[in-house]
Amino acid sequence: MRFFLLITATWAFFSTTHGLAQGAYDSTGAKRPRHYFQSQIQLDGYRKRNQDLKTNNRIGQTLETYGLRQGNLSFLIPVYTRDWQGVDKDKTIHANEHVLVTGLIHTLRPEFKGIPDHRLRKSGVGVRYIKNNGKKSVWFIEVAPFVTRDMTYKSAPYFRLASTIIYSYNAKRWLNFRMGATKSFAWGNRLYLPFIGLRIGRLDKFNVSIQFPRQATINLPVSHHWLFALYTKPQGGMYNFSNHDTLYYLPYVKTFQFTRYELNTGLRVDYRGKRLNLFLATGFCTRTSLTFYSDQKNAGAAPYRVYFYNATPGATLYSETGIVFKLGKARSIYNNTNLYDAIDLNGGNGAGDQNAQIPMDTKRQQNDLNLEEIRDLVEYDDL
Amino acid sequence: MRTIVFILVFICSLFPRLAMAQNDRVEALRMAFINKKLELTVSEAEKFWPIYNEYNDKLKALKRNLKQAYRQNASGMTEKEAADLVHLEAMTRQAEADLYKTYSEKIKAVIGVLKLAKLHLAEEEFRREMIKTIREKND
Repeated sequence: MRFFLLITATWAFFSTTHGLAQGAYDSTGAKRPRHYFQSQIQLDGYRKRNQDLKTNNRIGQTLETYGLRQGNLSFLIPVYTRDWQGVDKDKTIHANEHVLVTGLIHTLRPEFKGIPDHRLRKSGVGVRYIKNNGKKSVWFIEVAPFVTRDMTYKSAPYFRLASTIIYSYNAKRWLNFRMGATKSFAWGNRLYLPFIGLRIGRLDKFNVSIQFPRQATINLPVSHHWLFALYTKPQGGMYNFSNHDTLYYLPYVKTFQFTRYELNTGLRVDYRGKRLNLFLATGFCTRTSLTFYSDQKNAGAAPYRVYFYNATPGATLYSETGIVFKLGKARSIYNNTNLYDAIDLNGGNGAGDQNAQIPMDTKRQQNDLNLEEIRDLVEYDDL
Repeated sequence: MRTIVFILVFICSLFPRLAMAQNDRVEALRMAFINKKLELTVSEAEKFWPIYNEYNDKLKALKRNLKQAYRQNASGMTEKEAADLVHLEAMTRQAEADLYKTYSEKIKAVIGVLKLAKLHLAEEEFRREMIKTIREKND
């Protein structure tokens, strides 16, 4: 009974003082940022050089060459944030959960010299849930339905669903493990894959990160603003493709599945500003694969197995450039390992199964104590 | 591709200042200063910073709110507006005191009372260093 009274009194004390502070705070009408994540809009363009499709196959002879132009417009908006404090012995922990809405408009123009251009569109809106338990771990869950269409010949929309669940454990600030599962199209097929990740090195310092099946990266921040990265990652997808050119032998079949992937290995340079990020990447495409599947032969199959055309051109060069706008203000995350990790999870898993790499802003590094750096400041609001 | 590059260049031209805001730089430095002075252990730091960040966010919001209210009335005000301002200032100071009371309890539970006192000293020391730096610059 005494124990019960003690617990009740402790709870009452803390809830009263907290209520007092929050009540007084609210009475002033002061508004602080609502979320830990900024809204983001990302634009990026990707190009892969044309390659000959050297084959005796009828379709290969018709297509002649294969190149790619790709553009993405994606966004991410935090819509809900909740903080809470632990209870009893965990009362010092500061946990939170976040819900974000993601969106994507992805346009792909495969370039075949032998047939007119097809403009393929993939667009969707998804929901992302991130939970920071305030101790060592972060949960990441995303459900991202999307629709693909051949916009040039107005094919019927084809609905698909990409999803990911990841458990991330921060053993140390410089050591992180991730595991989970993902339903992804980035490898050019509908695949259910395990997600396994390992990062050695602090997120705001030099680090090596392997996140299967997304990417493997060596990150080298050279200043608060500039980041160099060597990386390798798959890039691909499944798209609804009009059979207007009768690539599939049955002319009454209106569409088939155009799937592609390539393994991009290269160098990426990021500028990370307060309001925007810019990036430029280039390198080699290897293991390029282009496959056409008919829906009739693969109904319900995961992954699709029966194809009517496949080509694997050799290595070539690619280039990618993009810009990320960061809108609105966010709450402080300084030295908060779990929120650094949450932001990394959010930036490394693109909207709608696209393979984004939006590095976190690491301007708040703890070792920077050079007061001379701010000699040019003559005004500071909080003094 | 050319269209995308054109769009990127156009959008970039809308952002004349890519540099980090000055206040953020000072804020970053203040945090770093506190971090060094408190000599927190890893487990203390893991729990301290989320709480301190939240406290700091709220404190900054209170100060910004009061300052904005004064600025809006800087060119002239009626008696009613003046009374509202004075009332807001009183409420803000009360809220600051209540925040300190609440969060100092939380922080004390994580880093202990000695480091909590050191936190206050570190904040003061940083303030002095800042003022000194700015004065030297102006001289």
